[in-house]
Amino acid sequence: MKLIRKRRNGYALLFAASICLAVWFGVTSMLEVVFAFGAISLISLVLLVRQSRLLYDATLIWDNRILAVSSALISMPGRQIKKDIEETVVSTFGILIGSEIYRWGLDGVHGVRLHTAHIDQERMYLTFGDAAQTMRVDLLHGMTQKQAVLDAAQKLLRETGVTADIIGW
Amino acid sequence: MNGLKSFNARRLSVAGFSFLFAYILSFQFEGQVLYSLLDLRGTDADRYILTAIIAHFAGLFTCGLFVKSQAAAKSMMLGGMGLCLAATVPFFFPLPTLWMGGLIVSGYFSGCAVAAWGFFLRAFTPQNERIKSCADVLIYSNLLMIAVNVVAMNRSTFIGLGLSVLCLVIGMVFIWMLPLVQKNEQNKTFKNKTHGGIKNPLILLCLFVFIITINSGLMYQVINPAFEHLTGLVSWYWAVPYIVALAIMRNLPMKANRSRILYIGMAMIMGAFISFMLLGRNTSDYLTVDTLMLGACGIFDLFWWSILGEMLDYSDNPSQTFGIGLSANVFGVLCGGVLGIAVTSMGLPGAEVAVIALTVVCVTLAMLPSLNHQLVLLLKSHAYLAAYDNMSQSQQTDIVRQVKTLNPLTVREQEVLQLILSGKSNREIAGALFISENTVKTHARSIFSKYDVSSRAELISTLLKNQTVG
Repeated sequence: MKLIRKRRNGYALLFAASICLAVWFGVTSMLEVVFAFGAISLISLVLLVRQSRLLYDATLIWDNRILAVSSALISMPGRQIKKDIEETVVSTFGILIGSEIYRWGLDGVHGVRLHTAHIDQERMYLTFGDAAQTMRVDLLHGMTQKQAVLDAAQKLLRETGVTADIIGW
Repeated sequence: MNGLKSFNARRLSVAGFSFLFAYILSFQFEGQVLYSLLDLRGTDADRYILTAIIAHFAGLFTCGLFVKSQAAAKSMMLGGMGLCLAATVPFFFPLPTLWMGGLIVSGYFSGCAVAAWGFFLRAFTPQNERIKSCADVLIYSNLLMIAVNVVAMNRSTFIGLGLSVLCLVIGMVFIWMLPLVQKNEQNKTFKNKTHGGIKNPLILLCLFVFIITINSGLMYQVINPAFEHLTGLVSWYWAVPYIVALAIMRNLPMKANRSRILYIGMAMIMGAFISFMLLGRNTSDYLTVDTLMLGACGIFDLFWWSILGEMLDYSDNPSQTFGIGLSANVFGVLCGGVLGIAVTSMGLPGAEVAVIALTVVCVTLAMLPSLNHQLVLLLKSHAYLAAYDNMSQSQQTDIVRQVKTLNPLTVREQEVLQLILSGKSNREIAGALFISENTVKTHARSIFSKYDVSSRAELISTLLKNQTVG
């Protein structure tokens, strides 16, 4: 999330600077430069809006966290990505892995939703998606006591309505 | 017996207000009598007319500050009408220096008297009947105004002025006969059950009224002067389409979809300005333009008057709510009038003036549907929330149980739903559940999505229907 915030601030700075420069060059009647900075400010505005939305989602996920773990393995049909990142958060509204966001439950019944959750002694497997695509995330949950697993499953059910399948405990 | 008493009180209240309003329409607020008098003396009409409108606006807007009970409302109506009477007397004499003061006094106190009537509209008219009372006062006052106009324009301006004053006196008699009732317990209950107050719906309503009445102000300054030569016809026909539209709207079945008629009204305003631009200035042209314009005014006026009337139940001070709502209308007329004066004083040809007016109308109409939609939803939301709060705890629990079987919500969503149904705002829900306001909004969106609704009002309506079916 820090990275997203940092990017958002960077784009905001770029937008402000390019607007100021465009106005300044506008006053000095350098039209070509004005157009160039105008284009830069437009692009930075689009990026700023995009990052602000991402930050909003990330904040929402962070505020409603169910579980924080240290490692995640994401699998999609055809490819597999391994991620070892400090900040991995499972939440009511998705997963935050570093600066990457996988959302669910944010767009109602027609958007991406969490489908299943399985927890074994080592990992937690979450399947989510919409009508077009399904994704699976494997997490090294790091829980050693059964009560902690039960608590996490209970919280997951309460927040997302998905009953976690607990295996091998 | 009580029903008969309240029916008589309602009739008295409607009659008293109709006569007061007839005085205002025929004389004080851009009335033909005032125009004729100013014309007779050869004075600058715009200055006097605008002063009277501003004073009327001030009266409507500030009345709620010092009228806070039904007894005070009655005193204000009687006192205000008495002062209007005194302030109108100088107009019988060639004393233009006193006229300005008279218009300021009568404008201000007629505004106060109109706003104070809010107490009686709420007390003597049942909630679902307000549209009828509002239609009645508008119809009767306009009929009286036509009678006064015909006399003033075809016989004598001073006889017309005398009739205006007579309306005021008769109105005072009816208001004096009005009974005072104790606090309406039902209103008190509704008021206390309303969450978040009526500030936002009232602001939206005022915005709606202001925008739509800019057209009326333009009409006074752009369309009316173009047909001044048809004195005889204008004196009696001008408000006829308005009255007919009100009568039709009043007598429509309650189930009728009035929102569709609003769109017809919009088309009529457009048609009026287009006709004004394309047609000439003879009798048939006047009939076409006036029928379209005033018919639309009737449709829209009854719409917002009745909404304002229904809002009184959710108000601590009906005269304040009623006054502020009507002041938005007067402000719209004022702004439209100033715009019209500016446009005509530039000396633009008729077609160009009409094009400018049409552009203003188009901008107005483009804004109307969304404003209207939001306003209706807000009002519906209040009504439904009040209905839900009046249910017992077991009924509320039954409704939520049905939600569970129809489309399962998560435990968290159920908690949010319970609090939504109890009328809590997003901020209050966030505080109660120790979550952020954005989280509440996201849960609420998810709940709306599961029920395929787009607002709280629709959600609650859906739940109530489910309960009926169950």
